[in-house]
Amino acid sequence: MSPETLQKKFLRGLTEQFPDILGKLQEHVPGQLIAVLPREELPKVTKYAVNQLGARFVITVATDQRDKTGDFGISYILAFDEEKQFLVLHSNLPADDPRIESVTPEVPAANWAEREAYDMVGIVPEGHPDPRRLVLPDDFPAGIHPLRKEYQYNTRFPSEPQNAPPRMPPPEGSTVVPIGPFYPTLEEPAYFRLFLDGERVVGSDYRGFYNHRAVEKLGDSELNYNQVPFVAQQICGICGQVHSCAYVEAVERACEIEVPMRAKYIRTILLELERIHSHLLWVGLAGHIIAFDTVLMQLWRIREPVMWLMERVTGNRKHYSSNLVGGVRFDITPEAADDIRRVLAKVEEEFKAVVDAVLIDTSLMARLKDVGILTEENARALGAVGPTARGSNVAIDCRVDHPYAAYDQLDVQKQVQDGCDCWARTLVRLYEVFESIRLVRKALDQMPGGPIMAKIDGPLPADRIALCSVEAARGESHHYVRTGEDNRPYRWRLRAPTYPNLQAVGCMIQGVNLADVPICIGSYDPCFSCTERVETLDVNTNEIRVYTREELQELSRRKTLG
Amino acid sequence: MFKAKLKEAVICFGAGRVTLKYPFEPSPVPPKFRGKIEFDARKCIACGGCANVCPPRCIVIEDMGEVAKITFNLDRCIQCARCYEVCPEKAIWPTDEFETATPDKSDLKSEMIVWMSTCQRCGRCFETDNAIDKFESKRWRGRGPGEANKHGIFPIKPPIDFSMPGSLVREPEEGQGQ
Repeated sequence: MSPETLQKKFLRGLTEQFPDILGKLQEHVPGQLIAVLPREELPKVTKYAVNQLGARFVITVATDQRDKTGDFGISYILAFDEEKQFLVLHSNLPADDPRIESVTPEVPAANWAEREAYDMVGIVPEGHPDPRRLVLPDDFPAGIHPLRKEYQYNTRFPSEPQNAPPRMPPPEGSTVVPIGPFYPTLEEPAYFRLFLDGERVVGSDYRGFYNHRAVEKLGDSELNYNQVPFVAQQICGICGQVHSCAYVEAVERACEIEVPMRAKYIRTILLELERIHSHLLWVGLAGHIIAFDTVLMQLWRIREPVMWLMERVTGNRKHYSSNLVGGVRFDITPEAADDIRRVLAKVEEEFKAVVDAVLIDTSLMARLKDVGILTEENARALGAVGPTARGSNVAIDCRVDHPYAAYDQLDVQKQVQDGCDCWARTLVRLYEVFESIRLVRKALDQMPGGPIMAKIDGPLPADRIALCSVEAARGESHHYVRTGEDNRPYRWRLRAPTYPNLQAVGCMIQGVNLADVPICIGSYDPCFSCTERVETLDVNTNEIRVYTREELQELSRRKTLG
Repeated sequence: MFKAKLKEAVICFGAGRVTLKYPFEPSPVPPKFRGKIEFDARKCIACGGCANVCPPRCIVIEDMGEVAKITFNLDRCIQCARCYEVCPEKAIWPTDEFETATPDKSDLKSEMIVWMSTCQRCGRCFETDNAIDKFESKRWRGRGPGEANKHGIFPIKPPIDFSMPGSLVREPEEGQGQ
């Protein structure tokens, strides 16, 4: 452990309460501590760290390591943002009895993570208040945990429709209004059940993961280190660079690959350009959700040159395919740098005009101010990230807190608002666009010359663990990589920013009017991903036909398998 | 309120026409654009570098004695151009073509048959610089027809059906590169 880490405040707090832990802490990657604890102790340390020391719960990583050590592993990842530190608490659980005490009653942010650990690997969170199925499909066979190593990525399981998780019962006297399974304004699958008392929302239930694509399974059983970034970039239609960058950076940290500075700067520039076009897209969509389509049209017009810019630099407007372990594939030529400066000058000018108009537009304010309140306390408790957290006065930003790429040399200014409502979240994004433009210019000025790819001589070392958090436009994207022997990760875990933010929605829409629900859900920039069932209308006969689940499954299999 | 609407009106009127006339006019692509893959059978040495790095595994090779058959399932292609990057002979490259929509997926499938012989220049196989790319991936190369990607992503044979109870049997690594 480095001397600086030993000085940190959280470590003193932790060792005061748990004196044994000091001997178990290891720091392989700077800023990332790993401790292997017995399973009785892990929940205690997690609860203490979150509730007494102010740690932020990030995610759990469940690993099937039976082929190596004969047991299961579970890691709870915590972040001490102010002290720029990650803490991984790991426990090994016997293969015949993989149980661990749930921390969710005291750490609500762990709710989904623990349910997912059960669904995917079969680690039972004992005492979980809501142990319903989360990630697996409704008809997935019970007792099968697909991320265990005995199942292949293409194993086809029998359908058992009786396993659908029970729905939350609505409170007495309330009406249920379903939104979904295809979310109307975002064109993505998500299924909210709202419990209404008149016009007011008194509760909600969420079912999602309709488009689970099993990328983690592919990453640790099929693809090699340099193929994973191309799958990672397709996790999201917007944050492609974010996910591939987080993955390669985690591998590089684990294997101590020295990435050339120029490559780091190129990653940074692409990430910031991505943030600019994502925020412009979001502000447009927010306008669209509240039926103010002028904002949508104008912001998407302003956004388009940024997309062309990405195409100019990397070759494609989306799925840039830019990152590989060790560096980047496409250099930014001096001409391309000039193009970036020129386009950004125009974008800044045009965006400023829009912001000037929007900030004094009372009709917009009437729909956004004091709507969808997420208090600072709740934002912290539920682990909200990104503009959702920063709009609630929680000053976390991975670019500053856990620097990656070249951000440690750029002096990023966090944009924080204390309004806690949809308007505050909008303001955070508006100001972040200007900040990103400044960062791109600064990065272009500071970018050194030299190679853009590190030389990798031998096979990458196995069984090393590293984390990387990348600040996407929506919040923190977290990737965990444990390296493996056969040129692929042994375990690759990722957590997109919508994962914690979505858990905060129930809190956000409590008490709002039904008409405000779409903008509340839209205000944290959700990213679900395809559809569950479809109703078709035959225009010739006016006959409505609802496809059954089996028919749809057959249709989509025929479509995807050719 | 009125001032805001006025400002917004100015922005809208100042925008002018922004839509493109495509498809009535061709839409040129930028210089680095990665479109549909094109290849040249006369240059290919069937080293399999492209198939080894291809992330969606749309390129597979089957060795059949004197010849090697390389299949390109371009409906799976993600336009990353990794094949172009590692190809020692530059026998495969991305073109400017992006209008690949078709009602029939088989339109996007091509095959190339290459006669195999020892390299006249150096007498050995090709190696890449990057250690990660040197490492062989699974199931991209098979000995004999239908052997590559045997139970792979696109079903030459159907995926394995699950049989209860879950046995700890792993798929045999047959048909893997030499």
